[in-house]
Amino acid sequence: MADDDYNDMDMGYEDEPPEPEIEEGAEVEEENNDDVPDDIIGAENEEKEQEPVEHPRKTSKYMTKYERARILGTRALQISMNAPVMVELEGETDPLEIAMKELRERKIPFTIRRYLPDGSYEDWGVDELIVEDSWKRQVGGD
Amino acid sequence: MFFHITLERNMQLHPRHFGPHLRDKLVAKLMKDVEGTCSGRHGFVVAITSVEDIGKGLIREGTGFVTFPVKYQCVVFRPFKGEILEAVVTMVNKMGFFAEAGPVQIFVSNHLIPDDMEFQSEDVSNYTTSDGSVKIQKDSEVRLKIIGTRVDATEIFSIGTIKDDFLGVINDPGAAS
Repeated sequence: MADDDYNDMDMGYEDEPPEPEIEEGAEVEEENNDDVPDDIIGAENEEKEQEPVEHPRKTSKYMTKYERARILGTRALQISMNAPVMVELEGETDPLEIAMKELRERKIPFTIRRYLPDGSYEDWGVDELIVEDSWKRQVGGD
Repeated sequence: MFFHITLERNMQLHPRHFGPHLRDKLVAKLMKDVEGTCSGRHGFVVAITSVEDIGKGLIREGTGFVTFPVKYQCVVFRPFKGEILEAVVTMVNKMGFFAEAGPVQIFVSNHLIPDDMEFQSEDVSNYTTSDGSVKIQKDSEVRLKIIGTRVDATEIFSIGTIKDDFLGVINDPGAAS
């Protein structure tokens, strides 16, 4: 009986939009328009999505180390699962290394959704954010 | 009855399908997943006619998969109580016969077959009128009325009757032979 109830709840949950799983303010999004030619449609979408945000975004233009960690982790996972790589490779094979290279070249096709305490959010493309030089130390940037 | 409706579905896409053909892959997967399935609420999904909108993807943490909300138009088939359908007989026994109208299974009990039709257990079991003019056997086409449906989560099963005016055999390829 209790088991049944549990299952019901579970099924209801699956139908819901996949919001809740997100921890931390940052949510990562795939821009499905990455290399599709109809860029404009993607841009339009973004405009619509951003309706809760007024034009000037107020969060920092720097990527936090948590965002960076999550992006690198997620992207490396995707690369390890055979996702097409967005940069020219020069013999790299480690997914995390490739992800770092992509981030360095700002080629990671993600958008970060930063949730604010009042529930609104701002979308920042990974290519818009300034990545602090902490990665230089770790990756041996230049 | 057939309906043309808009449905929504969240599609999980594996990272290996990313790239320029992401949308095509998504639509192909949608068709594979959805066409031919049956939901109790909407009935059988016969075909997807168009994909209206593919929303922005959301990355699932931990799996690397991306969830896209997809809006699509499709043709669904759902039998209703009181609906008249044409169906093909698939099995005949002394309890009645089973018929299929597309994906829907319909059972017609011998109580709901006209009283003048009797069950005959010859080599091909059938229902025949006393004068032998009308014969229902496997592969006969019958017109029937649905008097009840049982709707499960993944299946729809119906009870039909041919005990009414203008119902019964409409064409019998097997009878000629």
